[in-house]
Amino acid sequence: MSPRLDRLPRTDARQRRRLRGQFGSRGRQHVVVLLALFAVVSGGGVALSALVTAREQHQAVLVQVAARQRTLAERYVNDVLLRLGGRPADPEGTGQLLLVSGRALLYGGVAPAANGDDDEATLPPATDETLRSQIRQELRLIIDLIRTGDALLEGRSPLDLPTTGGEHSLPADSHARLRVLGVLTSNVSLNAARTIAANADRQVAQLIRLEVALGAAGLSLSVFLGWLLIAATRRQTAHFRSLVQSSTDLVVVLDEGGRCKYVSPSVTQLTGCEESVLIGAAFRSHVHPDDLADLLTLGSSTRSADAWLRFRVRAGQEWRDLEATLTDLRPDRYVRGFVLNCRDVTERVALEEQLNHLAFHDPLTGLANRALLRNRLDHALAKAARTGNKVAVLLTDLDEFKQVNDTLGHEVGDRLLTTIAERLSAVTRSGDTVARLGGDEFAIILEDTDERLATAAAQRIVTEAGLPMLLGGRHLVVGASVGVDMANDPATTGEQLIRNADIAMYAAKQGGGGRFEIFDLSLGRQAGEVLGLQHEIQSGLQIGEFVMHYQPEVSLADGRVLGVEALMRWNSPARGLVGPVAFIPAAESTSAILALGEFALFTACAQTAQWAQENPLPDGFRTWVNISAKQLNAGELCRTVHAALAAAKLPPSRLGIELTETFLVGNDSSIDQARRHLEELHEAGIHVAIDDFGTGYSSLSHLQRFPIDALKIDRSFVAGLEQRGKDSAIVSNVISLAHALGLTAIAEGVETEGQLADLRRLGCELGQGFLFARPAPPQAIAALLGARSIPSPRPAAQPQAVSAVHR
Amino acid sequence: MTRDRRLGAVRNGRVRCAGPVLLTITLLLTVSSCGSPAVSHPGDPKVKVTEKDFRLVVQPTRVAAGWVTVQVSNRGPDAHEVIIVRTTGADGRLPLRRDGITVDEDAVEARTVQTVELVQSGTMRTVRVRLAAGRYEFMCNMAGHYLAGMHSSLTVAAPS
Repeated sequence: MSPRLDRLPRTDARQRRRLRGQFGSRGRQHVVVLLALFAVVSGGGVALSALVTAREQHQAVLVQVAARQRTLAERYVNDVLLRLGGRPADPEGTGQLLLVSGRALLYGGVAPAANGDDDEATLPPATDETLRSQIRQELRLIIDLIRTGDALLEGRSPLDLPTTGGEHSLPADSHARLRVLGVLTSNVSLNAARTIAANADRQVAQLIRLEVALGAAGLSLSVFLGWLLIAATRRQTAHFRSLVQSSTDLVVVLDEGGRCKYVSPSVTQLTGCEESVLIGAAFRSHVHPDDLADLLTLGSSTRSADAWLRFRVRAGQEWRDLEATLTDLRPDRYVRGFVLNCRDVTERVALEEQLNHLAFHDPLTGLANRALLRNRLDHALAKAARTGNKVAVLLTDLDEFKQVNDTLGHEVGDRLLTTIAERLSAVTRSGDTVARLGGDEFAIILEDTDERLATAAAQRIVTEAGLPMLLGGRHLVVGASVGVDMANDPATTGEQLIRNADIAMYAAKQGGGGRFEIFDLSLGRQAGEVLGLQHEIQSGLQIGEFVMHYQPEVSLADGRVLGVEALMRWNSPARGLVGPVAFIPAAESTSAILALGEFALFTACAQTAQWAQENPLPDGFRTWVNISAKQLNAGELCRTVHAALAAAKLPPSRLGIELTETFLVGNDSSIDQARRHLEELHEAGIHVAIDDFGTGYSSLSHLQRFPIDALKIDRSFVAGLEQRGKDSAIVSNVISLAHALGLTAIAEGVETEGQLADLRRLGCELGQGFLFARPAPPQAIAALLGARSIPSPRPAAQPQAVSAVHR
Repeated sequence: MTRDRRLGAVRNGRVRCAGPVLLTITLLLTVSSCGSPAVSHPGDPKVKVTEKDFRLVVQPTRVAAGWVTVQVSNRGPDAHEVIIVRTTGADGRLPLRRDGITVDEDAVEARTVQTVELVQSGTMRTVRVRLAAGRYEFMCNMAGHYLAGMHSSLTVAAPS
């Protein structure tokens, strides 16, 4: 067997993304948050560093300019003194530079370059109040210094000049005054530079502290998120691991060579092997080689597919059927292989096979059933049409099977059927199909055959089926009727073959059973006639072609007419007046029998009521009506009987029903139901008689179980009274039996004085037959009833209106 | 341990690192003989020294000999210091270094009672000194400050 190649629809890409999103979003969210935090912290750190660096650069320029003021103050003093000493110097330039730079430090602006020693610098205004007060003091001292310098250079005394820097007292010497002011300016400049540097240090230190705090917070958060991420990943991994490991399904990952990369723990439960044993090449030895090759081919050709494989378990002692979904995840870098999700469906497969077998086989005999027969027949005919060989159908029905079943029970009947099935199988070739169609009907298909072989097979079946068999402690012999039809024409259908074989079989049965018939057109015609007859019965019933005749039942003691048996006649325009034998079998195969039965009951009751109106009927007078098996089993009998009585206003005691002996045997539920119907009728006052007693299989126990009032001795025994001693004994015993059971004995078919004498001698109460009267229309019966008794014997040559055919 | 903690502090253009040892020893001796000079004492007479560019005011100008709590406050805008030196001459003048700008601290080291270093603008410092009877000069000796007028005298009277 190979894996089923019905591919699964390719998974929609959007759906796959959605699924992946569902399972991956949690971890990804953590990663995104972590990266974002890293970005924020790092960005903040970089921005702070840049800020700190810029500020440091800025402060360095400020400190440089502030510190330069000190040098400039000292250079100014030197320049003044050099000029006074007649040396070249530029005290005005230096003083101007000192003043401009001081103002730039205070208010912001450009501090010029000092003689090319450095570059000019753009400064921000000072914001710190301490610094501003220091620079303002520095500017006041610069003014005092320059005024002193200017006075000296101009040859004036600076001693009287006002001071602005808060100098409490100054030296009385002009030069000393200049130097002290220079030093004060220098000193204040130094202090201002220090203040700038200290402020810068403080600010940078704050920024660095902030940077460190930010870094530490970022690091802590990163560690925390990393921990969360790891925990989430672990949880997710554990979640999926639990799902896979607790699943009863088997999950396997195979590489391209069919080696196992992973197998879920459920494999231990399935195979009894540890997972580790199956990893690698060992796995291949557990899969059926054909299935493994097909799997790998299938996996390579499609993304996802359903597969089926056989898996060897329990040390190779057993194969299990696995239904699998195969997914090619080789492109997936986390799998890199084929993933098999397998379910053990061994039991399901076995059940399916069992159900499949049940659907196409007869549970009792194990033979093919009707459905399988039709299937095989269609195949055989198709093959025959190709090859030109012939196909034959043999339909077999057992004779008298129902009696065996009813008499000896269903168990024996079943064993009989099984035995016949075995015999049929034994006499056919292995390639032929033997089927049980239901009940005791079998069919055989012979392929690649001809008429001679088919005839031989039919003969073998008849012979084999007719051999005695020991069942239930008895040697039973049942005959088989076989109908054969050959498919001579390629256009022949299976249905046609079976129908023709059925017609042939019916013919074999009609011919007495225990034989076979081969279908020919004349048989078909006969069957067609039966069909036509059924239609005619239906229409004849509707247009009143059926009439009732009555045959008297006479008291053998005094010749009084104590009853009549109602007998149906068909006054067919095409066939003349026809007796029941000609149409009852055809009617019994359709529901027409029920309508006929109803007609008989209603007509007989109405007629009896009419007779009673015309002449008082003798006590105990009854009209006996024959009831068919179908009527009894249809369940409507009681209602119909009561309706017929009510319609005719006839007392129930005037009606009797006759049943054949075969009703009484059997033990299934339908018999119980029939018994209940009979009991109900009997309790209402209607008498029950067993017709044709002695020809069936009934026993004493059957007679006891049913509410029976009379036994009608079969005409065949009565006919043999004078010739055969055995028949005489049977009649004697039947009469004794009836009396022993408190029943009335009625002899049928009394035709001679000798028979009458014998019956009288044996104590039989009633008689019926040509000796007394033939079945006659109701008017003739009315005349007899008016005569009160029938003179015996009647002249044998008395003309009769009808040709009586007794059932 | 140097008296001047301003590393790299410049006075008269050169780094002062010479001669602090003796001054320190003197200071330590004074401190050790005075107990805990940095802690004010509620019973001490209090001398307030107020510095402002470029004036130094001592209030009151006369106290009794013994322990005195000196409270120095700088009103700026510059940073200043206070050096307390016992004077000998009637005019209380202190000798200058050769630059003619700053007091020669080495020369008056033996008479220096206390030094309060680098009082930043807007801050206050308190020291406790034991003063014998005599005249004391309080001064700021940062470059040019003394000559610009930042000095004042305190008379310590012998206990009656």
